Amino acid sequence: MRGDLARDLAGIVGERHVRVDDGALAAHARDATPLFEASPQAVVYPGSTAEVAEILRYATANRVPVVPRGGGSNLCAAAVPLHGGIVMVLTRLNEILEISREELLARVQPGVTTAALAAAAAEQGLLYAPDPGSHTVSTIGGNIATCAGGLRGLKYGVTRNYVLGLEAVLPTGEIIRTGGRLWKDVAGYDLTRLLTGSEGTLAVITEATVALLPKPKESGTGVAYFASLADASRAVTAVIAAGIVPATLEFLDHKCIAAVEEFARLGLRLDAGALLLFGDDGEADAVAANLDRIKGICADIGALEVTLAENVARADALLAARRCSLPALSRLGPLTVLEDVTVPRHRLAEMVDRIDEIADRYELRIATFGHAGDGNLHPTCVLDPHDHAAIERCHKAFAEIFSAAIALDGTITGEHGVGAAKLPYLEERLGADQVALLGRIKRAFDPAGILNPGKLGS
Amino acid sequence: MTHRPASDARPDAHAGEGRPAPASAGIFDPGLLDRCISCGFCLPVCPTYKLTGQETSSPRGRITLMRALEAGKLADGDPTLAEEASFCLGCRACETVCPAGVRYGELLEQWRDHQWRGRRRPLLARLLMAVVSRPGLLALQRLVRRYATGRGGPRRGAVPATAPTGSGTARSGGAPARDGAARPASLMLGCVERGLYPEVSRAVLRLRPELAVPGGQGCCGALHAHNGDSATGRELALKLGERLDGVIVTTAGGCAAHLAHHLGRERVAELSEYLERTGYRPAGEVRVGGRRARVALQDSCHLRNALGVTRPPRELIAAVADYVELPNAGDCCGAAGTYSLLRPADSRAVLDPKLEAIEAAGVDYVVALNPGCLRQLRQGLRRAGSKVRAIHLAELLAMAENGSTAR
Repeated sequence: MRGDLARDLAGIVGERHVRVDDGALAAHARDATPLFEASPQAVVYPGSTAEVAEILRYATANRVPVVPRGGGSNLCAAAVPLHGGIVMVLTRLNEILEISREELLARVQPGVTTAALAAAAAEQGLLYAPDPGSHTVSTIGGNIATCAGGLRGLKYGVTRNYVLGLEAVLPTGEIIRTGGRLWKDVAGYDLTRLLTGSEGTLAVITEATVALLPKPKESGTGVAYFASLADASRAVTAVIAAGIVPATLEFLDHKCIAAVEEFARLGLRLDAGALLLFGDDGEADAVAANLDRIKGICADIGALEVTLAENVARADALLAARRCSLPALSRLGPLTVLEDVTVPRHRLAEMVDRIDEIADRYELRIATFGHAGDGNLHPTCVLDPHDHAAIERCHKAFAEIFSAAIALDGTITGEHGVGAAKLPYLEERLGADQVALLGRIKRAFDPAGILNPGKLGS
Repeated sequence: MTHRPASDARPDAHAGEGRPAPASAGIFDPGLLDRCISCGFCLPVCPTYKLTGQETSSPRGRITLMRALEAGKLADGDPTLAEEASFCLGCRACETVCPAGVRYGELLEQWRDHQWRGRRRPLLARLLMAVVSRPGLLALQRLVRRYATGRGGPRRGAVPATAPTGSGTARSGGAPARDGAARPASLMLGCVERGLYPEVSRAVLRLRPELAVPGGQGCCGALHAHNGDSATGRELALKLGERLDGVIVTTAGGCAAHLAHHLGRERVAELSEYLERTGYRPAGEVRVGGRRARVALQDSCHLRNALGVTRPPRELIAAVADYVELPNAGDCCGAAGTYSLLRPADSRAVLDPKLEAIEAAGVDYVVALNPGCLRQLRQGLRRAGSKVRAIHLAELLAMAENGSTAR
């Protein structure tokens, strides 16, 4: 099987771009999600849309599963080949095809990293707003496939808000172009939005047109320390209620502060229960005024200390530290199971209390950080990978955390996606009828069920 | 329903397919492999991942391969394991961006220890290791010096002619450092450097005549550790630590990192660190064609990534010349110890973007802090027909002291 597959794929992309050696298969058996692993039979690196189409036609004809993959930084096992088959790595398609200042948009191939697009846009005085924590490694294709969020979600929204059009290949090999370069276009169902967040289950994205913004003139960042994460949550609610929508409103609990400090050495206060990182951008006066108001609100809530970053370098360092929260947490214990729940912002404090209560009851170490302004939390359980009983308790605890989020009118994933990790909980969130509809949509796109099986729509 | 993998996925990343987890092979220190959480933050800085774009040649991918080896999922003779263990430059750039604190350099040494055990180690590497661990044979290096250094070196006379013997009795500790610190310090001659570039040590002694230069130094063992013989690497480091008094001053980033790992950071100072610590103020300046020279720096990977030394060499250069920062100064030059000899094509591919950047920067000199990097840059620049010359930091500073107007 492996030999035939290798020969057939080599016929499409050339021998250099197919791997079937045990090492390559092992290296593509997982993404950044712990506890999920399954080997493919082949890894293929297509170099064009036409090659992607031919691979998919072949896969449909031969009923071979295909899992699209970008930077492999997924956190819900969406890029793990649960049913084997082909892992299709799209990082060779990594060209920025166009950046238009006149139209405020960029046209890119899926393998371009988020940071590379952001840097190219910045060179032209433009902003690509979505800003996932993993931006140096995650790709635009993967960002779109999972509708990635990030640190600027509060003011600017998530990836979905910036995708104008897509070129995508259906599992049966047809190449479609959805949307385009227009801000207004209602011709047909909104397939651009349907494919955004479809997690590689409906089509393979081979090109994207994304909206850019003029780069904000100024930005500023500040840090507020609180006695508890619940206090920080109340500050978030108060900021939003005051009618302020800053670019960034992130929080870290004391466990995260300690881990981040160990890596980044920023002089963060280790005696605080939580810190709130706030930032805004825009006209200098407005930024200063907003930061000042947030500072005041934090103080009113009872912040232990509020300081504004004295310069851009310090602000960047603080944001960079926030980005590395997850990997830094692994310093506390090598197995980190990170989750991704979202609740309405005014219920953040309740959710934080629920997480603490559940962690205590299951005797688990759960650190929490997140995009507080979005109501998006990342409770992260830190474990010993060899303690199977604790891992079992962790699964149970997260099941309760998901239920708690849903009970607070929240959801089981805010930005990482459903993948294989959350699939068992999808029905609790969406209801049976909607899950069945997803299945019917999946079959309309992918009658043979070859595209990322075992995930959404399966 | 509980939060658990679907039935097809394995419940434990370290377990075998549906079988009970095999006992670990004991190749790696327990816990070291666990540190990596596969976030992939290391991918953008890895030179070999930049070359191939393939997961297997990224730090994350290689750690996955190591895990498969440790768990018995990949066979000992697996060709991908062999290829990737040798393809990695060992530059450790990945460690600097790893928030999880994965000690990749240690993992790589343990991997190569296993991978290249016995005769599978490249013949050329074995030969070199044999030569450098026998002080007598080190003299042979001088025979190949002319051939190896090529024509790209600095002109004779640019550095002082007082040669350290390295074979006589130890010089006395000499005068205390200028800041009054009384700690004795010894200059390590470096087994490769003393054969290929003895002018570097001569230049150091011109700057810091008080340094002791004990004879019979041998090799620090970095070469062995990087080539799959950690035991000898450690043994040689400890021996050298006994032979050299006080702080060991090195002119090679690779040796500095290796020695610091085995002897402790406080025993080791790279030249620029030592000069700074002892209050050295560069005298004069380096001029080219009637103007101040334009000089760039190539960081030594191990100095930058393992020891975090980046500022002192830059400040020293800026004191005697116009410092020009290369956009990729911190990227590996592809020398990587024996790598340029064992994998010349890959080594050149890693070097090429750097040569372009050096050329684009319009500099007169590019300074290196490691003999391997020096050799790599000189050969590359010569091949490219460049006018830029690669020299060691010590030589640049000695030129400035000489009031030397080069060219």
